[in-house]
Amino acid sequence: MSDETTERAPFRNPGWAGNTGEFELSEDEVRGRSYVGEHAPEGGHPSRVPTVPYMLPEKDPEAPLFEGPYAERFEKILSRYPNRRAALLPTLNLAQELRGRVSPETMAEVAQLLGLSDAYVRGVATFYTMYNKRPVGRYLIQVCTNVSCNLCGGDEVLAAFLEHTGTEAGEISDDGLFTVMEVECLAACGFPTAVQINSRYFENVTPDDVPAVLDRLREEAS
Amino acid sequence: MAENSQTPESVTLTIDGRAVTVPKGTTILQAAEALGNRIPHYCYHPGLSAPAQCRLCLVEVEGAPKLQPSCITEVQDGQVVLTESEEATRQRTGVLEFYLANHPLDCPICDQSGECKLQDYVHAEGRKHGRSREPKRVFGRDDFGGDILFYGDRCVMCTRCVRFMNEMAQDPRLTVVERGNRSIIDTFFEEGVEGSPYAGNIVDICPVGALVSKDFLHKARAWDLDHKPTICPNCSQGCNIDLHVRDNRVQRLKPRANLEVNQYWMCDYGRHRYEWMNRDDRIESPVVNRSGQPVPSDWSEALEALHGRLEEGVRPVKAVASPFASNEDLAALRHLVDALGGGEIVYRLPRADREIPLPGFPRLSRRRDLAPNGRGAEILGMERVGDDEGAGGLDELAHYTGTLVVLGDELADLEADFGQQAALYIYVGSHPSPAASQADYLLPATTFAEQEGTFTNHEGRVQRFWPGLQAPGLARPAWLVLGALAARMEGGGVPTSAAEAFVQAAELAPEFQGLTYESIGTRGAIINEPVALPGA
Ligand code: SF4
Ligand code: SF4
Ligand code: FES
Ligand code: FES
Repeated sequence: MSDETTERAPFRNPGWAGNTGEFELSEDEVRGRSYVGEHAPEGGHPSRVPTVPYMLPEKDPEAPLFEGPYAERFEKILSRYPNRRAALLPTLNLAQELRGRVSPETMAEVAQLLGLSDAYVRGVATFYTMYNKRPVGRYLIQVCTNVSCNLCGGDEVLAAFLEHTGTEAGEISDDGLFTVMEVECLAACGFPTAVQINSRYFENVTPDDVPAVLDRLREEAS
Repeated sequence: MAENSQTPESVTLTIDGRAVTVPKGTTILQAAEALGNRIPHYCYHPGLSAPAQCRLCLVEVEGAPKLQPSCITEVQDGQVVLTESEEATRQRTGVLEFYLANHPLDCPICDQSGECKLQDYVHAEGRKHGRSREPKRVFGRDDFGGDILFYGDRCVMCTRCVRFMNEMAQDPRLTVVERGNRSIIDTFFEEGVEGSPYAGNIVDICPVGALVSKDFLHKARAWDLDHKPTICPNCSQGCNIDLHVRDNRVQRLKPRANLEVNQYWMCDYGRHRYEWMNRDDRIESPVVNRSGQPVPSDWSEALEALHGRLEEGVRPVKAVASPFASNEDLAALRHLVDALGGGEIVYRLPRADREIPLPGFPRLSRRRDLAPNGRGAEILGMERVGDDEGAGGLDELAHYTGTLVVLGDELADLEADFGQQAALYIYVGSHPSPAASQADYLLPATTFAEQEGTFTNHEGRVQRFWPGLQAPGLARPAWLVLGALAARMEGGGVPTSAAEAFVQAAELAPEFQGLTYESIGTRGAIINEPVALPGA
């Protein structure tokens, strides 16, 4: 199965140490299947629970806040902070993971959960650009156009993604699969252009790689 | 020893070469203010927390590596502060240039123009020309509900309004939304601040024209307004306020600081009840009714005739007073009634079903008594009658057959036959309602807004107010009219000023004894508690 995956990744990605030939490792073995490893909905150990904003392909705008393993994760988040107000950012993350975005209704629900005013939650949610205030597609494609990536053609990569998905930045493609947007430094400056798609990184992406990346995602989705 | 000679709580420092001694814990900004030096500032407001975010109050402190925000830097002994040094001035000029980068410069159509801190500071220390070539970002305006309109482009992001709603109103409906130069003050989408009973204060504390009052929108220019110190007449809290007057009309009410009564605030209920002060239906000259024939008259004629009537002998007196009348007016009424042989005085007072406190300073509350001087009437031995609408309660008096004196109460709920069975019916007031107009003697009085006087608030604080409007026609303060009559009857002196009328009031009520206009001053003074008689 690992061989299969390797074969299915025809795009050039030398930033991925696995294919330098130095080690006999597949991409899967290096990065895990989803490139961030499996993650349990209940969040694993409480110490890492508030830190990782996951982005799942399956989004349910109606998902309850919070039930089952997510309720467990929410409790773990609360246990990490001196008061409920301090837990606002990870709670918004959690809501976004489930629903794909932070809608006004979500803000109000989170405010209710944490005993904050609706206005305050709106202020915080709008301050941070990583909260999607509008719906996004199944795959949120974030293209870095900050300094390193820009010098190596980030703008062209962004243009290619927009062209091949047939969208304007921030829009959802007609098939509901893609939303492309421009972001600031993804902290992968050594491998420009860096692109984050949902929770996984694609590095050293060039405009030529873009169709293959999109095809791969389409295939995953089907 | 020498070290101990100074009280440990005070600190001496030098600001721009002048020494000043202030209590420990004072900030540089406050210490400078004590010297009359107002350091420019936006985010600092004496009634709110200080986030030190506007960076306009930066001053040079000798020995400090960089400029210090004077709004939060506490004074230290021997500190040398320069507020006008080259570095401090250069910094302010720079900060102001940023403030103007996205500002629409629409002073000609902005209500704040003339009392705007951005205008003032830029005029004093700003660059002559801006250097920004970028297009300005544009927000437009937003209706915050209630009386409040928000012009986002004028905002300087001081967050005073947000902090007022969080800390004082404790109704955290305002927030900063978005970030960077897209930051804007907003509520939770369409929520607005409607129904928040103290929200009007955010318009007052907004240093620029971002938050404006719909009621006042484009009504008057700031420089055309006279600011007349007075007391809010709309409840028994007695907030210190200014009438802002143009063309002899009250255009708006603004709070005046009094840390003991209302700090820097006032409630919206009081703020928006001023139109009655501008009413045009006024009694403008004395009218003598002789067998159903109203004859306009002048003061000497009317008072002479009235005095003649009283000399002929009077039937037992009953009187109606108003809790909107000053202590002086009420005392003069008491005086006259006593001179006529004494009698019961009643007053009617509208009463709300609940108080509306300001959570951040609960000492300020819109009180249940919706008139400024119920306490004064009570002190002068008058009795409240009627319902919570300030109506009713006068059925018996309407058909009273003795001498009837009415002061101030408009009698709006009563029929024209009120007092028609009275042997003598004297009405001293401002508005010619049907029940008032039939009085044998209809005497025009000024409203509180047109005279000097005092009110006694709910906690027994006597507070002075000053005339803000010109009285129409021949209207005179009631203390003068009633005082002149009483003096004629008793041979005492006629008070020639409100201060003298207050002295006469103090003679009637032990609670006022020892208080004078001088000792009451601009901050008010608490009445003497009535001394409980031993064994009583
Ligand atoms: S609206 Fe006025 S008070 Fe509020 S942050 Fe802006 S400038 Fe300050
Ligand atoms: S609390 Fe009373 S006195 Fe103060 S502003 Fe309101 S109505 Fe006027
Ligand atoms: S500049 Fe693109 S990842 Fe840092
Ligand atoms: S007043 Fe000091 S920083 Fe704003």
